[in-house]
Amino acid sequence: MIQEEFPSGGDRFPPTRRSVIEAVRSIDAEERESALEALCAAYWRPVYKYIRLRWNRAPDAAQDLTQGFFVELLERELLDKFDAKKSRLRTYLRLCVDSFVMNEDKAGRRQKRGGNIPHVALDFSAAEEELGATVIDPTKIASPESLEEFFEKEWVRGLFTLAVEELRELCIARERERTFHLFEAYDLQGNEKISYEQLSNEYGIPLTDVTNALAWARREFRKIALERLRELCGSEEEFHREARVAFGWDAK
Amino acid sequence: MNKVLLGLVLGAVLGAIDGATAWFTPAVRFEIMAIIFYSTIKGLIAGVLIGFFARKVNSLPLGILFGLAVGALLAFAVALMPDPTGQHYYVQIIVPGSLVGLIVGYATQRYGAAPATTPATR
Amino acid sequence: MKFLSDRALERLRDATDLPDLSGTHYRLLERIARGGMGVVFTAEDERLQRRVALKVLDLPGAAGDLANRLIREARVLARLEHPGIVPVHDVGTLADGRVFYTMKFVEGHRLDQHIESVASTPDRLRIFLRICDAVAFAHARGVLHRDLKPANIMVGPFGEVLVMDWGLAKILREKNRIEARVVDPGQTIVEKQNRSFESDGALQFSAITQHGMVMGTPGYMSPEQARGDVEHLDARSDIFSLGALLRFLLTGNPEAALAPSATRMDKSLAAICAKASATLPSGRYSNVSELALDVSRYLDGLAVAAHQETVFEKVGRFYRRYRFFILLIAAYLAMRVLILIFMRR
Repeated sequence: MIQEEFPSGGDRFPPTRRSVIEAVRSIDAEERESALEALCAAYWRPVYKYIRLRWNRAPDAAQDLTQGFFVELLERELLDKFDAKKSRLRTYLRLCVDSFVMNEDKAGRRQKRGGNIPHVALDFSAAEEELGATVIDPTKIASPESLEEFFEKEWVRGLFTLAVEELRELCIARERERTFHLFEAYDLQGNEKISYEQLSNEYGIPLTDVTNALAWARREFRKIALERLRELCGSEEEFHREARVAFGWDAK
Repeated sequence: MNKVLLGLVLGAVLGAIDGATAWFTPAVRFEIMAIIFYSTIKGLIAGVLIGFFARKVNSLPLGILFGLAVGALLAFAVALMPDPTGQHYYVQIIVPGSLVGLIVGYATQRYGAAPATTPATR
Repeated sequence: MKFLSDRALERLRDATDLPDLSGTHYRLLERIARGGMGVVFTAEDERLQRRVALKVLDLPGAAGDLANRLIREARVLARLEHPGIVPVHDVGTLADGRVFYTMKFVEGHRLDQHIESVASTPDRLRIFLRICDAVAFAHARGVLHRDLKPANIMVGPFGEVLVMDWGLAKILREKNRIEARVVDPGQTIVEKQNRSFESDGALQFSAITQHGMVMGTPGYMSPEQARGDVEHLDARSDIFSLGALLRFLLTGNPEAALAPSATRMDKSLAAICAKASATLPSGRYSNVSELALDVSRYLDGLAVAAHQETVFEKVGRFYRRYRFFILLIAAYLAMRVLILIFMRR
């Protein structure tokens, strides 16, 4: 086996979790709920922002629609109709959102849906702030290509945000909080001028420690992000395609 | 064809042609066969010498110069012999003879096959 | 959760693209290219103190399809020791789970970029002959390249020519025939069937390409390769690609006919191109050496096997080959006539 011939230089890649597409169709209610949580955690932000921009809804209405969409996703088993060979999951979900909003408009429903999706914290005010921080040209948002692009970017942002949070929890669990701070300072804050030397001086640690810490953090972040992504894909081919998009490999 | 053989054949052929053109000089026409014969031998000797030179020295300019010199020298030796009337034909013999040597020198450098130990060049 | 700006997303993408070389004896220098399944960087081999090219997969997992393919590529390269084929140095798995291999770092330009600086047809043909040398060697070792194209040929600063990117190579003479997998979306043209799975003892593969799977580059791919008829691919498929490559070298386009105003000499080249890239394999050269021989003969001013010359073409070629010599003889004869005229006066 190649793994035996070429032993990994570091941590082994964790076992793959079951895809949410499969899990959401499970006969086990707990598994279904867990899958929906994962789906919601990954997609609620892009869905909310999409509804705000594409359908031009006020924040309150967009919140209702976002929550309503995920409830409908589960109740009407919309993912049963998803075919990984024909489209990407996120494209399918986006089109489902469009249908859902149009149907809600037709039905004239305005009732507030009760409660959040279980165990997923939907911080709509934070999402609203992020929307404000994002520079969007309203004249360009209307075209299908730009909508797809916008949804894609927000989906990547959501995926990476979840991965960063999971990395933070991992660092806390392993008592590597400083590692996370270094990662946050260098890779997350978008400061072009920061250097390894500056961090070394700031934290009073050798340069090699900064290098090693960042290498470890990036490695773990990548692993977590890919694992999360794999859960959200319906097939290996889709996973490869979506990984290329999420990590921008085709653009480089 | 190797360089020596090419020089020999070309020298002999051009020597024969060179000798045959003596037919246009009426004064020597009666001994045309002897002229052709000896001119062929001269060309053959020149060709062999030039071919050996080309085998040893791989240089087009030097090969041409050597051919020119050998052709001129052998032609001069022939031109020293007067016709029965005592006339010498220096220009008519040396110039064509030199040119034949030049041609053989060029051909052996350019077209002759090098010996097996000599690396082929492109 | 902290908001990730667009800039932060870019930085994360760049940072996670870099391979984690801890635990290896390589030091990362810079990224140089991105391929269909991974990235190529330059790195410093700290043991031997030399620069190498390091190709690493995008996705982790040493037992996956892509990993198998990359390792297979490295092993194919390792068995092809030839000055025209880039040598591989090392293969392994990084700390982040990604499989990599290192190879000779080739400084130079891709052929499609270099060719503009090569003005003369004979020089372009000499480059082509060096490519043929490398491919013929690979065929002799039972390896087909299957993706010969200008972008996969490098020309170094001293004129060295290297055939690169053996990722789609097919090994003909393994005990269990092993074929490349199509997983690379950047190169796959059409997928017609699902993959089936098989494995070989020596080289682990998770799938065998069945009839209907297409891979290669349009314009350079043989018709049988374009059809996905992988079971019948042989050396003549690479010869088709070489024919297209030759056409590219002569015209800048792998599918262009040679110029209508082609001279008699160009007709020979056109015939060589046409024979090499004949639609049916039976119409092509049977091996690369035959193709190379015809090109060599063209360079030497001799008749080529691909083109049946007319008498006029033969005379013309003879004249062109021996032009200077013929002119010397003519000069000699002219000089003889002048002497005669001079004598008559």
